[in-house]
Amino acid sequence: MSTAPGPNHLLPAFRARNIFTLPRLQRYPHESANRMILPGLILALELSGEHDEELARRLQRKDPQAMADLYDRFGRLAYSVIVSVVRDSSLAEDLVQETFLRVWNRAHAFEAGRGALGPWLLTIARNRAIDHIRSVGSRMQRSSQEFDAREHPSLFVDMERDILNTDHARVIRKALAKLNENQQKVIELAYYEGLSQTEMADRMGQPLGTIKTWVRSALRVLREELGQEVAA
Amino acid sequence: MTCEELRPEYGAWALGIAEEPERSEIAQHLERDCPNCVPGVRSAIATVSAMASAIKPVDPPARLRKRVVSMVAPEPERSRASIFFPWAVAGAFAIALLAVVIPGRLARTPAPPVASNTGQAKFEEVLSILNDPVTKDVAFGDPSARGRFFVSPTKGVVFIAAHLPTLSPGRTFQMWVIPNGGNPISAGTFQALSDSTAVHYRPGPVENAAAMAISVEPSGGSPQPTTTPIIVTKL
Repeated sequence: MSTAPGPNHLLPAFRARNIFTLPRLQRYPHESANRMILPGLILALELSGEHDEELARRLQRKDPQAMADLYDRFGRLAYSVIVSVVRDSSLAEDLVQETFLRVWNRAHAFEAGRGALGPWLLTIARNRAIDHIRSVGSRMQRSSQEFDAREHPSLFVDMERDILNTDHARVIRKALAKLNENQQKVIELAYYEGLSQTEMADRMGQPLGTIKTWVRSALRVLREELGQEVAA
Repeated sequence: MTCEELRPEYGAWALGIAEEPERSEIAQHLERDCPNCVPGVRSAIATVSAMASAIKPVDPPARLRKRVVSMVAPEPERSRASIFFPWAVAGAFAIALLAVVIPGRLARTPAPPVASNTGQAKFEEVLSILNDPVTKDVAFGDPSARGRFFVSPTKGVVFIAAHLPTLSPGRTFQMWVIPNGGNPISAGTFQALSDSTAVHYRPGPVENAAAMAISVEPSGGSPQPTTTPIIVTKL
């Protein structure tokens, strides 16, 4: 098994003091105000072109070229999400493969006209990665039904399709930078390590109620920054 | 629990870190298409999904594209090494199934050793089909092959068989769902192991199925059966 470069290379964000909080120019020193070589821009380029709807319909027709197009649009992002969790490039390849196959096999249940393909695929990708690290750590064994529920295509209906675009990427980074240290920590532990709130409480030596409060408040900040309407 | 009580936990649920009993309660509300919880959970999932855009992009190796695309490419282009359900795992799984499934429905069977988490995930997916209370379990046996179909209307189909015929080069087995009053629907192609056994499954809903069939087709499969099926089993 080959191993990805160390976490500080792979995740400038996460181990030292994560991507969410580092100043942008520190993360991307080649950037300048006039030269917008940002991850968000790259994302936008990857996500441009064919709309979700037509691609989803071709996946439903089992058009093999649709799989290639799906990979061209979301492969890099899916790999980035997975490798940020598992931190092993070889394993990440397996999990990306599994992610795309799952989308291919379940595309029939996706509402092509109303569903958000990218968020659905990335949810599946992260689930595969979290499932792996939990199974390796023999902790929080969850049933496949639970993952099925969280990645059910019906939950991605009427979701803003360009939630992964440049503007949102910038907004979410700005929002993450607004979180206080504790809020950032619980989001990192949840997103990248899949720790339960009880596990976070043990790790951080804090009462469960405090952890829940930090998680809720962090997500509330992110949601508000993204301008979503449903309050939690 | 009420929707109002569950509301603060939507975000934790979307992140996959909700605790019990909220975790199960939210799942139940979603299952019954709760008009309060579904929009709230959708919003929370949107927030969590957007977090992916904050991750610094990492270039995958160029070979990964080929691996992904070859999974669904026509048979001649498919790399045997890239098949997601390794035959070694399939073999172990077939042995486990033949040992424990045929006497009756599984309650919950310990997983046999598997080679990877990917195999483990597929194994669990298959188990979810076998464990579905409404799964139909239909045996078949004829001179050419014997085995079983497990058909869940919502989760998919699992096919296990022994004594399958040896195929000529360029040919493949293809599974079909035959709906009431409709044309056969392909449920994927597969090859047998060297000992003439096979395990094949196709996830996803199986609606209105009246029968299952296996035919021998050109590599890559056919839109409709082109030969008389070697196995036809009424459900």
